[in-house]
Amino acid sequence: MKTNACAKTFGGRTVLQAPALELAPGRICAVVGANGSGKSTFARLLAGVLPPDGGGRALPPSVKVGYMPQKSYAFRMTTRANILLSGGGPERAEALMEALQIGHLARQRATGLSGGETAKMALARVLSRPCELLILDEPTASMDMESAILSEGLIQSYCRETGCAVLLITHDLQQARRMAGDALFFFRGQLWEQGPAARVLFSPERPETRRFLEFYGGG
Amino acid sequence: MRTSLQKALALILSGDRELKNILWVTARMSLSSSLIALLIGVPLGLWLGSARFRGRQALVVVNRTLMGMPPVVCGLLLYMLFSGVGPFGKWKLLFTVDIMVLAQVLLITPLVVGNLETFVSGVAQPVRETARGLGLGAGKTFLLLANECVYPIFSTYLLAFARAIAEVGAVSMVGGAIAWKTNVMTTAIMQYTNRGDFSLGVALGMILMAVSLLVNIAVSLLQRRLSR
Repeated sequence: MKTNACAKTFGGRTVLQAPALELAPGRICAVVGANGSGKSTFARLLAGVLPPDGGGRALPPSVKVGYMPQKSYAFRMTTRANILLSGGGPERAEALMEALQIGHLARQRATGLSGGETAKMALARVLSRPCELLILDEPTASMDMESAILSEGLIQSYCRETGCAVLLITHDLQQARRMAGDALFFFRGQLWEQGPAARVLFSPERPETRRFLEFYGGG
Repeated sequence: MRTSLQKALALILSGDRELKNILWVTARMSLSSSLIALLIGVPLGLWLGSARFRGRQALVVVNRTLMGMPPVVCGLLLYMLFSGVGPFGKWKLLFTVDIMVLAQVLLITPLVVGNLETFVSGVAQPVRETARGLGLGAGKTFLLLANECVYPIFSTYLLAFARAIAEVGAVSMVGGAIAWKTNVMTTAIMQYTNRGDFSLGVALGMILMAVSLLVNIAVSLLQRRLSR
């Protein structure tokens, strides 16, 4: 799957300039970088919730995209109804709720869930629908370790079973190393380094990436 | 003061015919205008709060200006438009309850739009992004957004009703406060007070507060039930 080159400017400041990329189906690509490096803007451009500079699209409109924003939003309805919104069907919703250990919250109003529970509900919601590109913006940031590991397993199974490409934006380098086959490193709004995760996240070529890995993950 | 209160209570308990007529006209005007304002203002507020287009901010500023429109200015405008020499004079609406409702709708709708716009602009982005991420279309996204606004819609209705029932400037100008026809509680309180008939004024004041309390309780209960 090919993405188009895209850029985004806010108030005269260019926050992102990304070249055209190729994302492999059935593989997880981790997107890492410090705060303000343009990771979430890149995700929002690909998801189509933010228009790139000069119009156009970051992805062809025919690509079916699933997107979980950085801040999970719970609609004013039950947890189950929230998950069913994606149209994945009740069986899939039940299975995902059980897998993420939120089955007991199915009938509870989703606006009353904790931060971690809301994130699990949002993950179940986006995973209940098949797509070609799944964009997850820090999906486990508000979860405890056990829930994060559970979620990682579900994301990997989803990727394997549906053959979709997964773009995983994360600050957790260990998570990126556990899950990703490929990796992108963003630095000051530019795609600084890309390639197999084994190289980018363990022995990067550029000094900025090495400094980032030393600081965040003791690379 | 004590005598006025005693007389007022006696008047309420006696079921005075003029008092009943004032109550009926007030209820008809306030309920109609607040509901019409809600029907017009809610979709407009949802749209203004969630849409992204050039000139949106200008419309928000215009609406906020209209929110502060003095009722007498609104009354004067309608008076000029609907008086015998005005462009709509042939409709003979001046000094009827219908034009009082129209005046109220003009005054209240910007409040409904403004309240909804403020709330919606805070939730529109996460709702839109989440819906987009789930592959939902524009129609479904709009319905989800409307569903998020149930609680503020009730609060806004209470505000609209309170403004309608307590308004005096515009309705006295276009309605004329004609006894048995267009006299509502607020205009009647002014009339009776000017005449020195404090007991009817106090009675109406008490009823006005009681009606306001009842409507608030009823809407709050409904709001609580629907928000569960």
